[in-house]
Amino acid sequence: MLSRHAEDLYWLGRYVERAEDTARMLDVTFHHLLESPPAVEATAWRELIEILYLDQVFEGTLDRPTVSGYLVTDTNNPGSILSSVARARDNARGLRDRISTELWEAINVFYLELAAADLTLGVEQRAYALLGDIKSRCQLINGVAAQTMPRDEGYRFIVLGLMLERAEMTCRLLAIRYARLVNTGERMGFHAWVSVLKSVSAYEAYLKSHDASLDPTRVLEFLLLDPAFPRSVLYCLRQVEQQLERLTADGLQTDVGRAIGRVRARAEYCDVSSIAGEGLDSFLEELQTEIYQVADQVDLYFFRSGADLQLHTVQSV
Amino acid sequence: MLQFDEIHGPDGVRPHYQQLMDRLTGLGPAELTERFAMLESIFRTLGITFAVTGHEEGLERTWPMDLVPRIVPAEEWAHIEAGLIQRVRTLNLFLEDLYVGEQSAIKDGIIPRWVVETADGYVREAHGIGVPAGARCVVSGVDIVRDGEGTYRVLEDNLRVPSGISYVLENRVAMTRVLPVAFARHSIRPVNHYGSSLLRALRSAAPYAAPADPTVVVLTPGVANSAYFEHAFLARQMGVELVEGRDLLVDDHRVYMRTTRGLDRVDVVYRRIGDEFLDPLVFRQDSLLGVPGLAGAARAGNVTIANAMGNGAADDKGVYPFVPALITYFTGEKPILPNVATYLCWEPDQREAILSRMDQLVIKPVAEAGGYGIVIGPHADDETLAATADAIRANPRGYVAQEVVQLSTHPTFINGQLAPRHIDLRPFVISGETIEVIPGGLTRVALREGSLIVNSSQGGGSKDTWVVDDVATNDESSSTSKEAIGAVSPR
Repeated sequence: MLSRHAEDLYWLGRYVERAEDTARMLDVTFHHLLESPPAVEATAWRELIEILYLDQVFEGTLDRPTVSGYLVTDTNNPGSILSSVARARDNARGLRDRISTELWEAINVFYLELAAADLTLGVEQRAYALLGDIKSRCQLINGVAAQTMPRDEGYRFIVLGLMLERAEMTCRLLAIRYARLVNTGERMGFHAWVSVLKSVSAYEAYLKSHDASLDPTRVLEFLLLDPAFPRSVLYCLRQVEQQLERLTADGLQTDVGRAIGRVRARAEYCDVSSIAGEGLDSFLEELQTEIYQVADQVDLYFFRSGADLQLHTVQSV
Repeated sequence: MLQFDEIHGPDGVRPHYQQLMDRLTGLGPAELTERFAMLESIFRTLGITFAVTGHEEGLERTWPMDLVPRIVPAEEWAHIEAGLIQRVRTLNLFLEDLYVGEQSAIKDGIIPRWVVETADGYVREAHGIGVPAGARCVVSGVDIVRDGEGTYRVLEDNLRVPSGISYVLENRVAMTRVLPVAFARHSIRPVNHYGSSLLRALRSAAPYAAPADPTVVVLTPGVANSAYFEHAFLARQMGVELVEGRDLLVDDHRVYMRTTRGLDRVDVVYRRIGDEFLDPLVFRQDSLLGVPGLAGAARAGNVTIANAMGNGAADDKGVYPFVPALITYFTGEKPILPNVATYLCWEPDQREAILSRMDQLVIKPVAEAGGYGIVIGPHADDETLAATADAIRANPRGYVAQEVVQLSTHPTFINGQLAPRHIDLRPFVISGETIEVIPGGLTRVALREGSLIVNSSQGGGSKDTWVVDDVATNDESSSTSKEAIGAVSPR
């Protein structure tokens, strides 16, 4: 497969996942704050911006209208939902001969509807419905991809992008919101932990596998290590590893294979009871760094072939 | 001035349109409006759009297709087809003769050397680069018009990167959905084998040293190009990679594409970018669309570029008037499809005649495409005519003049009813080991009343074009067909 196509598919997966995660986290923050004291508002919005990795670029006041406008409609924000969907569509357009017509139509129609809707009004007056729509449209796209794409390289690059994006997202949620709740020793109790779990739609799944007492260490363990929950860091990393194993011609004895093996093993064999205390920040930081390294290696291995050769050719002319 | 309408002749509806018109009348205006809306939504959902350069609102317009198909009866088509094959065969021979042959057409005085070498699309660097089987014009789009007497005439040859074939195929698919019954009542020649015919032709043009199963790619300028949809469509139809310049690289005069598993050798590049952007080492250095070294790889015989470089020497509007003579020269036959009467601004006698009756002629710049820069004398104001006359005097090689062809009209669905609009026809011709014409082609229609400019970049629309083999004309069969329509259609 052409490197450019692989790269576009990979980012298609990432953009759609990013749009969905952004919608969900915004939704949860939004509704969490409705039942919280006004004093925590700015903190909650700042954390959300950090979790979405936009803290370097966001300039504005930390209040509901500003942040939600920035995250949903602002086309100057490359990570806004509208931007993500527009980029996903741009990629899909360039992949017309690579993806199923059904997948293209699902993305195209989603974008056309978003672009035509009054999103500012929507966020203001019917946030729950709007964000719910966005989430289910993203899930529809992933579902259509799963149901119409052959399990070839192309599909695997979509899943690879999606799972890496999701691993990063859950990891940052833990590193930022979870860590603050634990470190400040804040007696937020039930309410705050519910919001953390809901940010990655883990609340119901957590209740099923544990119970409603919401012990912080167990929440950490669940979001980090649950082997069956599709948004836990370990689940995502295993998926990434699986895709990479099939995508690399030379198996996992490559830089990209070693990178994913390292970070997956770090997660898989960590001792939750020990990191839940003092070592939490540094553990999560290293985990994040290593996930970013996987992304860098994916880029080098799959998307940059022949780069050295062309340099040579151009110089020799 | 005589005006030929495709459907309505002097004796009423022409026989080959009778069934279609019965069906359209039977559906009624409200139903037709609904089906027209259906067409629009089909193209919109599929994302079949094109970009109009220089128009803010038209940045991405849905492909405008008309509800009323154009019908070409089989016997008329046989005439067109034979004429196209003859013409394209000639143009291939002329180009091969020019770039790798003896230049005998020039030496024998059929066409002046200076006219060929001043053609905008003449490429000196193409000399010595041969193409297997001489298929220099793998894809040609030859624009045909029908004059007031109903005679089919060639208006221009497009031998570089003619576009529009994807719309032929998509129009057909849309038509079967929107007017299924009308469709079923005719025996219409299919067009959907285009991808496989094109692939066969491209493979047959692969370098002699290429493997038996040569690798073909489609080279596009990228997603921002107005014809990008078509590039992707063709790659999909052929089952080959759609590449951009940055996906390819040339090493040691061999062409490779970058893949997730390393570098893959490429044998044939079906390029949809112009010569000047193809290779920054040879042509425009600022081009980011092309591939450094591509022309050199073609010269080394390691890759075939299709269509070949330099084809513009044969489709220049100043070369066009010589094509009938070239046909006779190369094939020994009489041209089957006539040209439109054309005058050369650089011949002093003809120039004076042109300047004295500019208000009756069409003046075309030789190097423009897409309908840009054309001045239609009878529709132009004095100021435009004076400016054009000055331009001709300053650069006589830059213009040709043609008699106004009163393009045939075809009833077209405009604001809920049928109204006559001018049309032309662009059939697509594939040259490989043999020359093949796809039945029908793209009928373009000038949606503005009275306008003679059909180009989609100038607000033109299109029609599905049916080459119909058996047209039932007698009353008996048309009455049975009406019953059958009632039986098939639930409406």
